Amino acid sequence: MSADVRGLALKADEITAGYGGAPIVHGVSISVAPGEVVSIVGPNGSGKSTLLKSLVGIVEVLSGRVTVGDRDVTHWAPEDVARAGVGYVPQVDDVFAPLTVRENLEMGGYLLRQSEVAERLEHVLGLFPQLAGMLRRRAGKLSGGERKMLAMGRALMLEPAIVVLDEPTANLAPAIAKLVLSEHVRQLALTGASVLVVEQRARAVLEISDRTYVLGGGRLRMEGTPAELGSSQEFVDSFLGGGRRTAGATTTPE
Amino acid sequence: MNVFFASIGFGLVSASVLAVASVGFTLQFAVTNVLNLAYASVMTASAFVAYAFNERGVTIWLAALAAALTGAILSLFLNRVVYSPFQRRKASPIAIVIVALGMTLIIEYSTQAIAGPTNVSYRMNQGPTLSIGSFSLTVAEVAIICISLVLMAGVHLLIRFTRLGKAMRATAANRDLARSSGIRTDRVISVTWILSGALCGIAGAVFGMDAGTFGATSMDLFLVLILAAVFLGGPGEAYGAMLGALVIGLGTEVSAAFIVSDYKDVIAFVVLLAMLAVRPTGLLASRT
Amino acid sequence: MAYYITTLLVYAGVDAIACLALSQQFGVAGVTNFAFIIFQAAGAYAAAVLSLPSDSANGAFQTYVGGLHLPFPFPWIGAAIVGGLLGLPFSALVGKRLRGDFAAVGLLVTAVMANLLVTNYRPFLNGDAGLALVPAPLDGHFNTQGGTYQWGYSVVAVVLAGLTYLFVRRVTESPYGRTLRAMREDDVVADSIGKNIRSLRTSMLVLGGAIAGLSGGILVGFINLWDPAAWGYAESIVLFAAVIIGGLGNHKGAILGAVLVPVGFLEASRYLPEIGPPGLVPALQWVAVGLAIVLFLWFRPQGIFPERRRIVASTAGGAEPLPLVAMSSAKAMVARPASGPADVMLETRDLTRHFEGVHAVSGVSIAFERARLTGLIGPNGAGKSTLLAMLAGTLQPTSGSIVYRGENVTRVPAYRRAQGGLIRTFQLASEFKRLTVIENLLAAVPDQRGDSLRGALLGRRYWGADERRAIRMADTMLERFGLTDHRNTYAGDLSGGQRRLVEIMRALMAEPQVLLLDEPMAGVHPELAHRIGKLLLELCDEGITIVMVEHELAIMDEFADPVVVMVQGGVLAEGSMASLRGQEDVVEAYLVG
Repeated sequence: MSADVRGLALKADEITAGYGGAPIVHGVSISVAPGEVVSIVGPNGSGKSTLLKSLVGIVEVLSGRVTVGDRDVTHWAPEDVARAGVGYVPQVDDVFAPLTVRENLEMGGYLLRQSEVAERLEHVLGLFPQLAGMLRRRAGKLSGGERKMLAMGRALMLEPAIVVLDEPTANLAPAIAKLVLSEHVRQLALTGASVLVVEQRARAVLEISDRTYVLGGGRLRMEGTPAELGSSQEFVDSFLGGGRRTAGATTTPE
Repeated sequence: MNVFFASIGFGLVSASVLAVASVGFTLQFAVTNVLNLAYASVMTASAFVAYAFNERGVTIWLAALAAALTGAILSLFLNRVVYSPFQRRKASPIAIVIVALGMTLIIEYSTQAIAGPTNVSYRMNQGPTLSIGSFSLTVAEVAIICISLVLMAGVHLLIRFTRLGKAMRATAANRDLARSSGIRTDRVISVTWILSGALCGIAGAVFGMDAGTFGATSMDLFLVLILAAVFLGGPGEAYGAMLGALVIGLGTEVSAAFIVSDYKDVIAFVVLLAMLAVRPTGLLASRT
Repeated sequence: MAYYITTLLVYAGVDAIACLALSQQFGVAGVTNFAFIIFQAAGAYAAAVLSLPSDSANGAFQTYVGGLHLPFPFPWIGAAIVGGLLGLPFSALVGKRLRGDFAAVGLLVTAVMANLLVTNYRPFLNGDAGLALVPAPLDGHFNTQGGTYQWGYSVVAVVLAGLTYLFVRRVTESPYGRTLRAMREDDVVADSIGKNIRSLRTSMLVLGGAIAGLSGGILVGFINLWDPAAWGYAESIVLFAAVIIGGLGNHKGAILGAVLVPVGFLEASRYLPEIGPPGLVPALQWVAVGLAIVLFLWFRPQGIFPERRRIVASTAGGAEPLPLVAMSSAKAMVARPASGPADVMLETRDLTRHFEGVHAVSGVSIAFERARLTGLIGPNGAGKSTLLAMLAGTLQPTSGSIVYRGENVTRVPAYRRAQGGLIRTFQLASEFKRLTVIENLLAAVPDQRGDSLRGALLGRRYWGADERRAIRMADTMLERFGLTDHRNTYAGDLSGGQRRLVEIMRALMAEPQVLLLDEPMAGVHPELAHRIGKLLLELCDEGITIVMVEHELAIMDEFADPVVVMVQGGVLAEGSMASLRGQEDVVEAYLVG
């Protein structure tokens, strides 16, 4: 990857997680090496988002361990995970809608000193130059693509060692979605951070990933490089069912 | 015409008192999503604490600070010890309303048990009357307006320009995202309740000054005016509450001058019910 | 002393009647009427002005409307009628789709405003001074100041409280009462199985209002005066406190609450000597009421007498055929046609729904054929659930139309569609939590004799046989789904998968012709999911039409044909799962989104 890798490793060991004690993710292990771009793909309801939320402290981890660098962050509150260097971009409600673009970015840099905020703001605006022209606009008034840029910019304010994105292209028009993945998410990697991205648009995200995990029914189904997965019929089947079905919690017995 | 100007004057004073109270109320709703119906009882308790100091010779303008402190402490207590435990248990909004009404009885009648059932008045000098044409106010009334203006300006500066104020708005807008930005939202919420509680306490004291005499239950009806102002501007919207207070404050006093003063509060009731029925997110809601 | 005891007894009777009304309205039916006290007040005023002579009497020292000087029992009857009529305008307020706490504020404020208006407008009901010298019932026939009369009055009050208890119990322990509890648990879901929520709420407001009005009439006949101070907003809180402390949903609890809170805390000491400075005791009483409310809600929210679980007794006799089977044979439904033109059961035409500018569903035209299981698939946010909600009537389309059995039902409310056999299930758990499993099923049975206020009042003799038939059907269903062991368990206590089953069974009990299933297999054990799939196919064979949203495509593979693929609010493709898998654009939709 980039020359100045300052990313941290993220590791999830045998994570079981879910809402109100009911597991949705069952014993999933994944890892992201420093500076690596890793994606998680899978069909609807495969538990991708829940897994991600459990890593950043929003969903309860029922068993297993999450580590950031060499720190065990399992059961940490979201604000503490953020302080440990993980920047999280949720799928929906990804900005502070009533706040202006500038205020959103400032809130992203909440933990910084006043002087550092201005500095980082410049840096983030360098990454997303379009945002510079709309600093006084309300975040809720932005278009889908602009809003996603802002959401990423906000997460970058703290110069996170790991950026975690939940379906950054959800509800975006196909052209914008492509741009977000190929330009913006890629750009995150160029900052030297490790990137973990969950996507439903599997083929598009493969193009920007170093490694990809496939989730189905809350369990890990496959893992590999884009080249390995792209040519695999099993990969296609894991989305569309049929063919040789992979074993899983909700597939029917043959 | 004289009546009209005089009523505008009264209206401005009422609106000033109401603005302080409504902004405090709406900030509490913004960060915790709780309609704190015990708000008027906290105002009452604070007003009586100010009275206790005032009785012992402290000027009411200083005693108002004691009211602010009382309001802050009581409000922090309400949120930390009562509302947020119930919210963590996922109590329904209806259950929280009932709890708030229970707290109203506790705070209001504890105040009455201690202070007695008779109405009291602050010892204060209203000062000479200042007049511009038929528009006349006492010095004390002008002072109430000034206090309110200063507080509103303070709230404006706080939520627009300070790190804390923006964190309050961020927490109100999206608590999960605020946490993922590293903001300790529990602390932000506590600070918000302290500050809004201070506003509530000051509102109690200036209510007492404006009303001349008050008792433990005199502020019950005032809660309806607060709710009307808050819902007019949209619950959770600080600027909306200021505007709502201005409209309701002027509206009630001006209508009192021209209709029958017994029914002056009815306009606030009608506004509140209409807002609840038609647009519970407030007139300014489309802005977000 | 005798006077003191009779007074307490009358108060106990009056408060018990009021609390029973609130228990029925709030505890059983979940209608939160924070303006409750004005119903009692209206009854008291009505009884007063009906029994008082014209206001020019007694030297015209008070002014009021009415003054009809009617003999007993007309004032009491009038009190009940006025209280009941007052419920009608309130049904508009309570039924609104408003956050619970906002609605509560609206009602509280309405009560405060009513009090303010009556206080200030003297010609109506004598303003803040209130009405005095209200004649006691049968004044002139008895010495109304005498001990005998006092005792008699208290006995009447207590007996009426007992009769009220029997009355509300009869309503609650009937199929109608079960429907009310279902509405309390989840009104949207109750709507989806054919319950007319608005009418149910109105009935509760009118019934509760009439009972509350009667309680006011009884009270004013005894104390002979009534003024605005008697019905401040705090009095409403007292009654709610009583019902909560006694136990929500338990009428015995309401009586206990009435005896403890309004009578025990407030009235009992009203005639005791004052302790401490004046006003201390009443103030402390209110503090105690407040504390009781908060502490009970925290430590014992279910109250002293919690709502008891209703065990539905097994009925003797053989198993009743399932409604579906009965329907398919009796109504001679055509089975799945082997070939030839299939008839369309449900159809959308250019159906569109926007959410704040976003097209959740746009221009969808699909025809669902009779006796087929049509699958609905697509990536997240494709609009599948939105489409289903529109089909069921839970959500109104922005434009386009829905045709069900040849009839345009676009503007037909959800409960009416459900009554016509168009039944949906929900993506999120939607069982009635504090109804037992079998009660969940029974609640959905259409056309029950006991499922109306009139039917409930006619009693078990009227609806008993009908109910036994429904129970037998429900038991057959439970057996078929293997949940017989959980028959009398609260549905809320089941596991996630079992709750999905309850939901499916409940939908089947509603005698559907078209079933709209929103991810019915989510969280269900694979083996069970398979069994459900087979069962659904059997239902199709019996003539039922099924539309199913499901994201586990293996299930679609096996059970659904045809399958409709939705992407970004529109229909992308339609066909068998096997044929779809061969289509490049479908594959792309799933992989590229």
